[in-house]
Amino acid sequence: MAPAAALRIEDLHKSFDQLEVLRGIDLEVDEHEVVGLIGASGSGKSTLLRCINLLEPVNAGRVFIEGEEITARGVDVNRIRQRVGIVFQAFNLFPHMSVLRNVTLGPIEALGASKAEAEALATELLERFGLADKRDDYPDRLSGGQQQRVAIVRALAMKPDVMLLDEVTSALDPELVAEVLNVIRELAAGGMTMVIATHEMGFARDIAHRICFLDEGVILEEGTPEQIFSQPRQERTQRFLESIIEAGRM
Amino acid sequence: MRKVFAFLVVGSLLFAACAEDNPTIGGTGATATGGTGSTTPATAADCAAANADAFKSSGTLTIGTGNPAFPPWWEGGTSDGSEFEFNDPAKGEGYEGAVAAEVASRMGFSFPDQVTFVPMSFNKSFAPGPKDFDFVLQQISYKPERDDAVDFSDSYYNVNQALVSAEGTSVADATTIADLKDAKLGAPIGTTSLDVITQQIQPTQDPAVYDDLAQAVTDLQNGDIDGIVVDLPTAFFMAAVQIKHGVVVGQFGAESDEYFAMAFETGSPLVQCVNLALAEMKADGTLDDIEQQWLADKTNAPVLD
Amino acid sequence: MIGGESPEKYQPLPGGSHTPPSGDRGSKILAPLKAEGARGVTIAVVSTVVVFGLLAFAILNSSGWPQIKEAFFDPTLFWDSLSKIMKRFSRNVFIFMVAEVFVLILAMILAVMRSLRGPVFTPLRILAAAYTDLFRAVPTILVILLLGFGAPSLQIKGVPHSDIFWAIVALVLVYSAYVAEVYRAGIQSVHPSQVASARALGLSRGKTMRFVVIPQAVRRVLPPLLNDFIGLQKDSALVAVLGYTEALREAQIISAANFDFTPYVALALVYIVITIPEARFVDWLVARDQRRLQAVGGV
Repeated sequence: MAPAAALRIEDLHKSFDQLEVLRGIDLEVDEHEVVGLIGASGSGKSTLLRCINLLEPVNAGRVFIEGEEITARGVDVNRIRQRVGIVFQAFNLFPHMSVLRNVTLGPIEALGASKAEAEALATELLERFGLADKRDDYPDRLSGGQQQRVAIVRALAMKPDVMLLDEVTSALDPELVAEVLNVIRELAAGGMTMVIATHEMGFARDIAHRICFLDEGVILEEGTPEQIFSQPRQERTQRFLESIIEAGRM
Repeated sequence: MRKVFAFLVVGSLLFAACAEDNPTIGGTGATATGGTGSTTPATAADCAAANADAFKSSGTLTIGTGNPAFPPWWEGGTSDGSEFEFNDPAKGEGYEGAVAAEVASRMGFSFPDQVTFVPMSFNKSFAPGPKDFDFVLQQISYKPERDDAVDFSDSYYNVNQALVSAEGTSVADATTIADLKDAKLGAPIGTTSLDVITQQIQPTQDPAVYDDLAQAVTDLQNGDIDGIVVDLPTAFFMAAVQIKHGVVVGQFGAESDEYFAMAFETGSPLVQCVNLALAEMKADGTLDDIEQQWLADKTNAPVLD
Repeated sequence: MIGGESPEKYQPLPGGSHTPPSGDRGSKILAPLKAEGARGVTIAVVSTVVVFGLLAFAILNSSGWPQIKEAFFDPTLFWDSLSKIMKRFSRNVFIFMVAEVFVLILAMILAVMRSLRGPVFTPLRILAAAYTDLFRAVPTILVILLLGFGAPSLQIKGVPHSDIFWAIVALVLVYSAYVAEVYRAGIQSVHPSQVASARALGLSRGKTMRFVVIPQAVRRVLPPLLNDFIGLQKDSALVAVLGYTEALREAQIISAANFDFTPYVALALVYIVITIPEARFVDWLVARDQRRLQAVGGV
């Protein structure tokens, strides 16, 4: 029997009041796979990611992580979230804590790690991503790019099975985007299973194994980056890509 | 430009500083020096006539007193339309009521039509500035320290302080001051009763000091205090009416030279008028009669020493 | 250099996301001076002197001034009463320090109770809301009178009779209601994305509250917390109605004995002297934290 996919989504539906935002999403992500999620604003990319780690309750459908159904009744939500790392567009570091404490809070309080363990891991991660000298600083002293990288490190410190990145560079000034993308590249190279919602098409083409185009609540088209970017089959996909090119983002 | 500013700065400071030293006119509030000149008035009525302008409201005698008006100082019950609780001073009953009525008529005012009573809080009676009354009559003791703020008349009652309690308390059977050393005693604020506790009795526990006697009585009945020090007549009233199983334990210092007096605005020419009236009342026995009538049964208590 | 904020307070961050200059939110009274330069300083000094000089002149020359001076500012009585009042003031300090500790704790419990989500917690939310409404409605002095005279009257064994005890209880009950609302406002002011980030890490609701929400909430409401603490310090005087002699009562006693209000002025000065440093301390705390708390970027 094939090993369970890292992430499997079956016919996911999500509505906000009357508005149905996700209208039946089916997606499977294998271990070590990087999936790029593209689509217009409002297509449901963020909502999808937030459903995966249960920040949004799901109306219908099922989600499985490493074979375990997380949408089942009685599931320990906190434990699930510990296995799924998510990084948002707004960096959301905890402003009253130092960078180090931001990173060690989760491991200590949620995973039960000792302070020494947590700090060792945190320091290692911070060093790896060039943030070692910011260890004792507070977030207000960091640039946007640095804060976002810390947010990624914070999620990584939880040793998640899957990383979800929700337009993590959209709020950054252009000159800071590169440093964050490099971090993500490294993660991908290291084999992290990731679902990345992004507007950075060039980047998506580079690192994603698979691209999903989300349009009006469904995955309209999916395929390899070559397929999607060079030979999109759906008309709407094409139009979307054209608008992106026009905006100069490719 | 700067020099002009500097000059203005220094100038205004000097100006303000110098101004402070100038004596001011009319600071004492006396409205008129009155008097026809060299002759000192012989009777209270003459005095009042000679100083007719000095009265707060011409043709009327305005007397301030505390509200509620407590027995045995004021009696006769309340009246409709009067702000006063417990008793309406305008009835002229009770010791202070009778004294007020007598003093007023000796000064030439018909009682009660030409007399107005105004409720007066204790603090207001000595606050600086022009007063809303001609004098205050509310069991105020003369004290030298108080003399700067107001002018006092002569005595209208020689006061003894007393200890009132309830049956069964630790002080109910006390006969000497030494018996009171360990007691928790209470007194109303602003009274010489408090001085008796702190200066004469000097118990080991701090006295409890109350805004009003009703609260003192509550604490006494709860057992939170053992006894209350008040003037002797008030002690009798409380023991008879306010305290369940109340008892007047005794009085303090038979040779006490404490006395009640009326309080006037400083420099008021009316002090001498009232003093003349009081002198007349003492000379012809009226004051004694008033005391007999209203306080006769309220002076017999063993002396605690 | 005249003008501009001192360099330490605002650092333009290396490119990128802009952190607003928070500066120190302390007294901005003198800010125009720095802005306008030497000329501004001159104008400010002159207008200050002229205005206060005229005020002083008007007051000192008023016809009532000598009496006021004697009745409110008598030097001998001032020094005499000051020492007695300060001695008694230690009792006020005891009352409000003890009370404040319990207020901060009880108020936090109430605020958290009120913030609990989930239908099963409804009775707790109702309880917290009712408590807050009740004790903000009844005047503090009434609560003290009712408890201070009423509770001992019940004559129940074991119920303390001490005035200080009931005064502290009454103050704690009343002020917890106000401070709970202050905390609640603070909690609600923490951006929901903070909660989302904490929950996304897998932190439980309780731990999110404890490590992420409440620390930020409290920092955000330090000024109103101080306001309520200052109110508490002043209300410590209310224990006097129970017969207990603290600083205000002592001032009253001396005042009544001398027919003079100077003791009240002395007490007012004591209060001013302790309160002003508290206010500056909180200003400093707020300035220090504001920089950090404002920099939650990108939201």
